[in-house]
Amino acid sequence: MICTLRASLFLSALALCACLPGCSTGEGAVPLQLELTEADLAEADKLAPEDLEIATSGTKKLTLEKTDLKFGFIKLTDCAPIVIAREKGFFADEGLSVEVVAQPNWKTLLDNVISGNLDGAHMLSGQPIAATIGFGTSAHVITPFTMDLNGNGITVSNSIWEQMQQNDPALRSEQPPHPITADSLVPIVKSRLASGEKLQMGMVFPTSTHNYELRYWLAASGINPGMYTESDIGGRTDAEVELSVTPPPMMPATLEAGNIQGYCVGEPWNQQAVAKGIGVPVSTNYDIWKNNPEKVFGVTQEWANANPDTMVAVVKALIRAGKWLDETDDTGKLVNREEAARILSRSDYVGADFDIIRNSMTGYFYFQKSDKRPMPDFNVFYKHYCTYPWYSDGVWFLTQMRRWGQITEPKPAEWYDEIARKVYKPEIYLQAAQLLLDEGLIEKDEVPWDSDGYKPPTSDFIDGVKYDGHDPIGYLNSHKIGNKDSL
Amino acid sequence: MESLKYTLLKIIHVSGLTFLEPVVRLCYGEEPQLQLKKIGRFIVIPSLTFLAFLVAWALIAPVYKTKSGEVPTPAVVWDAAQGVKRFHERESDKQVAYGLSGEEREASLAEVSEQRAVLNAMKANADEQVAAASEERTTLIAEEMEPLATAYETKKAEFEQAEKRREAALIVKATQIDQRDIEAKNELLAYIRGHKFQTEQERELLKTLKAEQDDVRNLTYAPLQNAMRFQTEIAEEEQYLAKKEEILSKANRSLKLEEEAARLKELKLQYAATTGPDLMPIAQQMLQIEGRMQKIVDSEYAKPWTLPMQIMRSLACVFAGFFLATAIAIPIGVLCGVSPTFMAAVTPFIALFKPVSPIVWLPISLIIVGGVITDPETHWLMVGMSNLPLIGWLQINPAFIASAITVALCSLWPTLVNTALGVASIDKDHLNVARVLRLNFFQRLTKIVIPSALPLIFAGLRISLGVGWMVLIAAELLSSSEGIGKFVWDMFNNGSSETFAQMFVVVFVVGVIGLMLDRIMIIFQRLVSFDGAPAAI
Repeated sequence: MICTLRASLFLSALALCACLPGCSTGEGAVPLQLELTEADLAEADKLAPEDLEIATSGTKKLTLEKTDLKFGFIKLTDCAPIVIAREKGFFADEGLSVEVVAQPNWKTLLDNVISGNLDGAHMLSGQPIAATIGFGTSAHVITPFTMDLNGNGITVSNSIWEQMQQNDPALRSEQPPHPITADSLVPIVKSRLASGEKLQMGMVFPTSTHNYELRYWLAASGINPGMYTESDIGGRTDAEVELSVTPPPMMPATLEAGNIQGYCVGEPWNQQAVAKGIGVPVSTNYDIWKNNPEKVFGVTQEWANANPDTMVAVVKALIRAGKWLDETDDTGKLVNREEAARILSRSDYVGADFDIIRNSMTGYFYFQKSDKRPMPDFNVFYKHYCTYPWYSDGVWFLTQMRRWGQITEPKPAEWYDEIARKVYKPEIYLQAAQLLLDEGLIEKDEVPWDSDGYKPPTSDFIDGVKYDGHDPIGYLNSHKIGNKDSL
Repeated sequence: MESLKYTLLKIIHVSGLTFLEPVVRLCYGEEPQLQLKKIGRFIVIPSLTFLAFLVAWALIAPVYKTKSGEVPTPAVVWDAAQGVKRFHERESDKQVAYGLSGEEREASLAEVSEQRAVLNAMKANADEQVAAASEERTTLIAEEMEPLATAYETKKAEFEQAEKRREAALIVKATQIDQRDIEAKNELLAYIRGHKFQTEQERELLKTLKAEQDDVRNLTYAPLQNAMRFQTEIAEEEQYLAKKEEILSKANRSLKLEEEAARLKELKLQYAATTGPDLMPIAQQMLQIEGRMQKIVDSEYAKPWTLPMQIMRSLACVFAGFFLATAIAIPIGVLCGVSPTFMAAVTPFIALFKPVSPIVWLPISLIIVGGVITDPETHWLMVGMSNLPLIGWLQINPAFIASAITVALCSLWPTLVNTALGVASIDKDHLNVARVLRLNFFQRLTKIVIPSALPLIFAGLRISLGVGWMVLIAAELLSSSEGIGKFVWDMFNNGSSETFAQMFVVVFVVGVIGLMLDRIMIIFQRLVSFDGAPAAI
């Protein structure tokens, strides 16, 4: 009895194994005859000297340490450079075979990059910095490539929007003037506080651009979004509006369920709120800070050390993808965005409906169903030296971490520069750009060759405060709300 | 003939497909009336109820609308299933294209070019249709909007004026009130309350009017939707063909090899013609190319995971967890059944760990597995597994192992408890016989204890596998280990109009696989039972 049973178990296990598809490549070995023969010598003798000249020239080829790569991404339209580099064959041109894998949330994505399950990933700008300074998960993560500028929005629920309209008659029109500040939100926050509750808003990750943007927008109107402290890692100390983490795809549902009254998130989740009629985008991050850095491409320092040439090849492909995405015709129309939206709408990439992705990707943004506006710079993938990894961007994120208390103690100005240099790697970027220039794939004026890594000072913020990356302490002290340092 | 009949009946009985029994008997002309009655009960009625379910679903689904989209009808779900299948086929096709060489590649390339030419002609047509339909929709909306918009504007102006008038009147009234006139002051208060109430109501009315406008703006215009669906289909086909063409003409494995081989040849001649220190760099370049070619030979098209592959991986994962659970549960269960003392010792643990949810086990096992396998790319276990012939393609990684462990931890309890019960309830006579025969412990175990406990053990295993399958989907979803769970989560994250329908596809896929696993276990259970355990559904 037992014997037959064992045999049948074993047989069924075998049968199950046999059902599984095999995966052998099925190709025999290639004839690799490196050794010279007499015939080769004879043939070489016949060659004219100029034939040999041609053979020696040609651009330097990168020695790829690794050709099969796995990159992670979150289902947001700003993952476009990675997806496009794969789909338009830019990775293949470099000899790379790249698999792109959707990740469930930013934490898992970062953990997978650190643990080596992924070679690299689409990351929030704050993630490499936070990991490197040891806020949250600690690991030395670097970025040689900024993926895009702008691309986020702040959406509030319909009822909050109505109350904002009551507070500010200017908002009552079909197409209210922009930028919309949080001023009209102040009375709502105050009345909620008076009745013992706090307005709840969602953002996607503690070190995300969205968190800092939402805080910036609120604080610019005098609303305290709460401070992080040693013991309060939720960032709610003294908060007048409470911010909480919700994964991007859950935002509309969470808003609809009433757990939060507003959120800051990337596309397509603001346009979805409009399409579903559950909320109103009041501000894009372009309004909060014109051309602010958004996502980066991150790898661990360890990985970059082990695969230096592969790293350069990856950046080359990403730069070309960025350039392709931002290509315009003579009238300034973005010519490739429809195709990009079509690719991104595939279910293994972003997967949202084509129309919704197209809304923001092709230079328009719906604030309400009746309010469609041109936003040519809503998604920037190449213009304005966008892809270059600027130290000044890193410093800005560090100032925000200090401003809201994620960095608990004061740091000197040099520290900001030092950390930015540890994370942002323009040298890799420039190496890749140089190769692309040699191959004639980009123009000389598309790359800031001689920059010191700092963008010129700018006041393109919603509150007009000036930011100079060389003076992080002065910048910190120019805000009303948030930590101030006197070093 | 008769013997075939009994073989068939035996198979049907063992596999638990008893509803087929009357069909077989009817074929042999055995009591036709009774068999027909049975067929009616066990085949016709279930089919009818399922059909009724489908009809009810098709009728009710469109009525219920959510903001995330309409509940999909069976037809929409079927379409979504086709979409999932199409995606799999396209990706497999690209994989094949990557590996083609020689004439096959050229033939395939020619075919793709032809298909693209046909498609291009259709594309222009589709674009026109969409443009036309979109125009129609715009005019339609404009027509409907006009009266609504005017009504809204007039009402709004009217209400604003009325509000101003009321306010002015109130102010006039207020100025007339004497400072000590309590009555008049209270009256004014009431008036202001009324005014506020009125304004509120007017605002509500305006809101509904606005909502009406929004509804019109949202108008779904069937011709446009159809045209757009057609356009999307063509655009997706075009995208796929373009990529395939690119692979065949540029990024194909054999082409890459040819290119490198040509360069190698060039370098080789140069190497033959050169003397002196120049030899060094050339030789190094040659070796580099050699290495590169080796990598190209091993390279594969980076195919994304598709549902059929994910199903296979989920099955592999659930069986890994199930075997692990069995390996733990049966020995402990036997010991529990044999020795009441041992049972007493482990009872607290069973009681404590049994109700713990997979959501809790998963992060724990993720952390533990992550701690053991710090660098999956170089860890011997991972490297070894990825080189195994049959399971290499599964890409076993720490997330897979953690999911399997979670499955094991959640599914071992039914087996454990059933084994203990089975062993403990062995007929005392049997044990007495063993004592008389002076069997030692091991003999007693293999000759008496396990054989008589087997039916119950298998009943436990069957429940365990069912639990494991349920747990697995959740574990994969949370650990983002490729499989059906990850598919569900990705589709949910897409938030597209297809999402809802794709979820339903998964419901059926998971259900059917779960059913099949259960059937397999029933067969085993029958095989080990002496009396043939009663048929279970």
